[in-house]
Amino acid sequence: MYDKLEIFQMAGGLAAYSSSRQSVIAGNIANADTPGYRARDIAPFSETYRADNNEAPLRATRAGHIAQPNADSTFIRQIDSPGATAPNGNTVSLETEMMKAAEVRVHQDLALSVYQTSLSILRTSLGRGR
Amino acid sequence: MSDMFQTLAVSASGMKAQATRLRHVSENIANADTPGYRRKTMGFQQTMEAGRATGLVETGRVQLDQRELPKIFDPSHPLADENGNYDGSNVDLVVEIADAREAQRSYEANLRMFDQARQMSTRLLELLRR
Repeated sequence: MYDKLEIFQMAGGLAAYSSSRQSVIAGNIANADTPGYRARDIAPFSETYRADNNEAPLRATRAGHIAQPNADSTFIRQIDSPGATAPNGNTVSLETEMMKAAEVRVHQDLALSVYQTSLSILRTSLGRGR
Repeated sequence: MSDMFQTLAVSASGMKAQATRLRHVSENIANADTPGYRRKTMGFQQTMEAGRATGLVETGRVQLDQRELPKIFDPSHPLADENGNYDGSNVDLVVEIADAREAQRSYEANLRMFDQARQMSTRLLELLRR
């Protein structure tokens, strides 16, 4: 029911985006010493969110229908970080990754706060108050 | 939510790999004065599952540093040859300590990612508590 409201959809989308980005960043940090590993990132939320909305999703109304492929996996696009390459071919920079992690945290905080606030507004409008 | 668990798994694998690296470094340091000891080195690699990289990291094979062992002149040493020399170990303490520092730094980065993922999921679950 709440999916229909744009604000909930957007806040939910941002929360999901931050958790998948967090996963990618954790992968980069874990592989910070792996020879030949190239740092990965995912496209900015503004791009992925719009892309999700414009694309008409596959509708599955019966069990036999082809389901929409998992959106999360298509999300992750290989983006080389502009950092320097180590002699062993690794392009992960711990500092950049830490910065991205802080960014993810702010985004998730924002998404959840917006969600929570919208929820209490909705409750208020239903007459239940806080 | 599955992204969060993936993040935790990836960070844990990174911490495990760094801890193994630190163990080898400490073995090297402990044996810095053992005659004929060759320095142990190891690399990291991505964990593969069914031919695909899972994003997790693991330690590769342990290899021995094939650099020449230094000749140490000490005629009173039980292992000394007819010229009074014996093979020392090729451990360089400066290199080992630098390696230990790097391992520590990477471990901390992984730990921070782990902690952040945990906090993010806690924050998400708090939405349900209200």
